[in-house]
Amino acid sequence: MSRIGVFVCHCGENIARTVDTAAVAQECGKLPGVIHSVDYKYMCSDPGQLMVKQAIAEHKLTGVVVAACSPHMHEKTFRRATAGAGLNPFLCEMANVREHCSWIHESRTAATEKAIDATRMIVEKVKRNAPLSPIHIPVTRRALVIGGGIAGIQAALDIADGGREVVLVEKEPSIGGHMSQLSETFPTLDCSQCILTPRMVEAFQHPRIKLYTYSEVESVDGYIGNFKVTIRKKARSVDEANCNGCGACQAVCPNKKIPSEFDAGLGKRSAIYVPFPQAVPNIPVIDRERCSYFRAKAKGSTKVVCGKCAEACGKGAVHFDQQDTLVTEDVGAIVVATGYRLYDIGKDQDSELLKGYGEYGYGTVPDVIDGMQFERLASASGPTAGKILRPSDGKEPTSVVFLQCIGSRDPSKGIEYCSKICCMYVAKHTMLYKHKVHHGQATVFYMDIRAAGKGYDEFTRRAIEEDGARYVRGRVSRLYRDGEVIKILGFDTLSGEPIEMDADMVVLATAMRPQAGMAELAQKLSVSYDKHGFINEAHPKLRPVETNTAGVFVAGACQSPRDIPDSVAMASATASKILGLLSNEQLEREPTVARVDESTCSACFHCERVCAYGAVEHKDIRDRSGNLVRVVASVNKGVCQGCGTCLATCPSKSLELDGFTDAQIHAAIMAF
Amino acid sequence: MNELRQLARKLLADKTVGVVIGYEEGQGAVTRPSFATSPEQAEKLVFDARCVQNLASYLSPRRSTVRSLGKPAVVVKACDAKALAGLIREAQVKREDVVVISVACGGVLADPRSGKALSEAMVADRCRDCDGAHTSLADHKVGQAKAPAFGSPKVDARLAELQAMTAPQRFAFFKSVFSECTRCNVCREVCPMCFCARCMADKSEPQWIESSPHLRGNFAWHMLRAMHLAGRCVGCNECERACPAGIPLSLITRKMQKVVSERFGYSPSDDPNVPAPTGAFRLDDAQEFIR
Repeated sequence: MSRIGVFVCHCGENIARTVDTAAVAQECGKLPGVIHSVDYKYMCSDPGQLMVKQAIAEHKLTGVVVAACSPHMHEKTFRRATAGAGLNPFLCEMANVREHCSWIHESRTAATEKAIDATRMIVEKVKRNAPLSPIHIPVTRRALVIGGGIAGIQAALDIADGGREVVLVEKEPSIGGHMSQLSETFPTLDCSQCILTPRMVEAFQHPRIKLYTYSEVESVDGYIGNFKVTIRKKARSVDEANCNGCGACQAVCPNKKIPSEFDAGLGKRSAIYVPFPQAVPNIPVIDRERCSYFRAKAKGSTKVVCGKCAEACGKGAVHFDQQDTLVTEDVGAIVVATGYRLYDIGKDQDSELLKGYGEYGYGTVPDVIDGMQFERLASASGPTAGKILRPSDGKEPTSVVFLQCIGSRDPSKGIEYCSKICCMYVAKHTMLYKHKVHHGQATVFYMDIRAAGKGYDEFTRRAIEEDGARYVRGRVSRLYRDGEVIKILGFDTLSGEPIEMDADMVVLATAMRPQAGMAELAQKLSVSYDKHGFINEAHPKLRPVETNTAGVFVAGACQSPRDIPDSVAMASATASKILGLLSNEQLEREPTVARVDESTCSACFHCERVCAYGAVEHKDIRDRSGNLVRVVASVNKGVCQGCGTCLATCPSKSLELDGFTDAQIHAAIMAF
Repeated sequence: MNELRQLARKLLADKTVGVVIGYEEGQGAVTRPSFATSPEQAEKLVFDARCVQNLASYLSPRRSTVRSLGKPAVVVKACDAKALAGLIREAQVKREDVVVISVACGGVLADPRSGKALSEAMVADRCRDCDGAHTSLADHKVGQAKAPAFGSPKVDARLAELQAMTAPQRFAFFKSVFSECTRCNVCREVCPMCFCARCMADKSEPQWIESSPHLRGNFAWHMLRAMHLAGRCVGCNECERACPAGIPLSLITRKMQKVVSERFGYSPSDDPNVPAPTGAFRLDDAQEFIR
């Protein structure tokens, strides 16, 4: 026979104002099986919790119902109190009489009736609750970091410094990411590479960091504490163990006119190349699409074409026959830090959402470039050795126009979000330009100046007041080439005047977008993502670096537009989360997971197909002599997140969610 | 007919299969399912417009007697092949464990007991929009495939009438047809896709569906049956044919098929690799109903 205790909370006035809590306690006290029913001002307070504990001991309660706020708020509190009194915590449940009742109703009579109904339903449910014990799962105490930009490097370093092994995977031939391409960084104007390269080298040399460059995550199996990750090491065509990075191969490569990705297409590289001088590791890679040897082979030629790099290599490190290899790594936690790419405004769009900006002539009007190209022009390691020159004729531009919010904050063009970093980097660009071309005039067309951040507003003020950047609030409707110059037609929305002006160069501050292939990666990891491809955090305020899949974390611009300080802060936050997670030998999980009734399972495996977490496995049922009788579905408790999708799809109702069984839910419904 | 018997004889003689599931002459005008386990028994196999039954049902693991006869070869019409594909899709039958004999079918009779010849008036409704092609699952094809040409299914016109009614009118209609139901469960027994070892309708703790033939329980049963067959029903219409109470079950199955097709872009397929919507996890499912 059940002995249920009901505890009705006033929540100060929050509940008691609309619900007659005394009446609820009195009515619920009459329910069969309820032997103790009280109300109190603050059940979650120490004296309130003590009431629960004392009642459990005094009345030998077999179940506890707290009629108060949402279980999201205080279920843990009351389950802890219940456990403290020696009762299984899963025999305690909450009836929500605040969010679902007092806060949304006006009539005291009706709200009181509803509160009684809600409490009665939970009483009936609790009568059928079974004691559950937490699930313990072992932990592989190492981590995977996907992406070797500043966020990935920081996360890897912090985890490794915390004493755990890290596997760092980067798809490009070198780590460093976009930050390695930047000239100077806001708001301090310190050289990007000078602050980044020490971190790159540290990550490379760290005894606890295993680095895979030119590699991608092929597949992810398993669950928190126990991921099995398959990594595709793409064929570099260069033996990493033997290469000493002398550069002889690059010097002899005849294909030297390939647009360099690192220089945003403004510089050139060879077919066998190291992306940039400070690359880590300093080992070249052959671009098989562009290399004469591979192109001839792809066309079916049996002759050996070129092969000069192999001849030039003193170490015999160039291996044309190298193949992609797959390696498997066991890890307990994963950081996604895949970063961003820029909105390719003029070219064909990869997404139907994006409309492009034909009116700005990117790719058709010479000297209309994007922000990253300007970075390369301003960078000492760039194609012009840090001189700001027009790409078309190499002349020094005396007037540069910067257009902000290209692609961003424009729902009709497909991206409604603010790209966040553009206001700051445009201000930086105007300063870099002024510092290098003293007689030059920078003009910025902006919608708003968003400079929230330490030292950020001061920085933009400095661009305007000290370095003379002219800021025009308004948008440019059209630009076109007129002889030597670019004609710009726009509108100053502050003065209400149309603007027509000439510029030598136009820089478009294009929006940050997540990397290509984010949907595929997110699906491999079973994490959710938004329509743009940004990874969703588990909670925008309280769980900003966790994802909805336990054990998978997110850092940097793959979650939303982020600048360097944000990315680094997120990375360190993930590291702290992961070090906490990996500090245990075992993990404890909530036992509210699905369970298969093997006697009735008809093995259609719909559950397996609909499970977003890959938690359903096949289990062999054998007789005593070991003969296979049949195969049924089985839920891996370590992976199951308790979402209940499998229960809904199971035709024979052979699945139950512990803590929310059919019998419990049915009883609750019937009590209404 | 000879071609079919010859093939069955060969499959049984060289022990490729243990049983050929086909049709034989029954009592009166009708044919009935046949289970030939020896080359001699292959002689009794027939196939014509009276062969209405969906033999894929006999491959369900529920039919343990059939399973005990050894590896089966099964005679399928285009409609039956979709049920077979469903069983393979839902892991009840392994493709390699069955030999598929596809027979060319120019449509079957709505009521084989009538003894009438196949005609526009006598054809089974489901045959009206069938393309009659041999299934891609076929290991053996018997006869030249031809598309029956009998106009569009009558059930669609009836559905349109129901759609035009007001909700209370529709409810009254279903109330009247469901009140005829005796809960004999033949719709479940004959359904090739009802293969569960224990039907959820027979679950007693808790009991979701009242088991007595009472209008409330009848509604629950037929609505749940519809939901359980959503995106799984192949439209073979065996339930309606078998129903002794004459309940127009195709109105429900056909409507559900249309809804699934509109919402999930899925129509019954004889390709077991096409995922059915109830057993698929797709991120691009329509979800405008979540507000």
